[in-house]
Amino acid sequence: MSVRRRPGVAPARRYPHWPIHIALLLVSFCMLVPFYWVLKTSLTGENIFVYPPSLWPVEPHLFYYVDVWYYIPFARYLLNSVMVSGLAIAANVVFNAMAAYALTKHFRGRGLIITLLLSCMMIPFQTTIVPAYLITGKLGLLNSYFGLALPTFSTIVCIFVYKASFDAVPRSLIDAARIDGLSQLQIIMKIMIPLSTSAVATNVILSFIWSWNNFLWPLIVVRDPQMQTLPLGLSRFLTYHENTTGALYAFCIMVLLPGIVLFLLAQKEFIRGLTSGATKG
Amino acid sequence: MNPKGVVARVLRNRFVMVPLVLTVVVGAWNAYIALHSDGIVQGRVVTTDGAPVAGANVHIMEQNFTTNSERGKVVTGADGQFLISDNRSHNIQLRADKAGMGRSEQQVVRLFFRAQNVTLDAPLVLPAAPH
Repeated sequence: MSVRRRPGVAPARRYPHWPIHIALLLVSFCMLVPFYWVLKTSLTGENIFVYPPSLWPVEPHLFYYVDVWYYIPFARYLLNSVMVSGLAIAANVVFNAMAAYALTKHFRGRGLIITLLLSCMMIPFQTTIVPAYLITGKLGLLNSYFGLALPTFSTIVCIFVYKASFDAVPRSLIDAARIDGLSQLQIIMKIMIPLSTSAVATNVILSFIWSWNNFLWPLIVVRDPQMQTLPLGLSRFLTYHENTTGALYAFCIMVLLPGIVLFLLAQKEFIRGLTSGATKG
Repeated sequence: MNPKGVVARVLRNRFVMVPLVLTVVVGAWNAYIALHSDGIVQGRVVTTDGAPVAGANVHIMEQNFTTNSERGKVVTGADGQFLISDNRSHNIQLRADKAGMGRSEQQVVRLFFRAQNVTLDAPLVLPAAPH
């Protein structure tokens, strides 16, 4: 089949794809090897400093996972982490949407608020941990699920993810909703959030991962061992017997698994949510 | 849209399907555990030439992260068989001994859940033949 070229239009140059694929393979390899190594060690319990290291698992078994389940109250830690993450996700989805919706409106001081929010992102949590602790204590929420989840109830990055998505909703749609008699809250819940599923997925994943992996705040807030979350359980696990390499890595896999499953489930929406608004001028 | 179509569409959704499959797997695993966790450990004690040893003591030890404590002992029958019926651990060690015949090596038995019923593949071997 012959292709007719329009006069004056240069032919599109076609670059080979294989260099990109090789580069991607190399990057993927570098990213995935540590995960593979953790998985392999969790199945074999071999000394990680042994030389030369074996690439394939030798006599793999699942008994280290059984050890983790029974030697420490893993189910209790899991429940605590799930409760705290569930609270954080619910709060992030609702509160961030409200904040983002407000930032899509034009009002005096809007630019200042956005600047303040962006500058607050640069303050590390460690510097505000003492006032956060005192506020949580005054509220009587120390050693509780609410207290554990409180600092992660709203995150600035997620507010801006929502804002980028809300900015893409046509103004006329919101005006029509207002003419139909919907309140601001109803507009958020019935118009904005259903049209921003990618932003919701991004909020869910990010808030889940941050609250799931949170170590410092639970360490300070929790007093009762029964209220410890999985990262605290992991550190407690390290204080046990020295011969725990396999069980320790099995614990790491068990802590990582829910986050990986959630990410794989919602990765399409997550990536769309992070990149929405990225190409706007 | 008819109700069957709606249900099928909801079930095909990965956010429904994955938790559903996980729930079924966890439920089935727990049912299996409930049916196979009587704490029964069966095995045999033999001599080096494979002859069964009657009247040998079989000790059961519970392995923990920091301790390895003896939980009890049973005596083998005329055919060298023993049966422990109150194991409550998932990580045990067994050792057999008999006066005049020495003691066997400690055998580590790893189980997939606590009190799992198990029959040992390899017997406990006493080093000396009976006089």
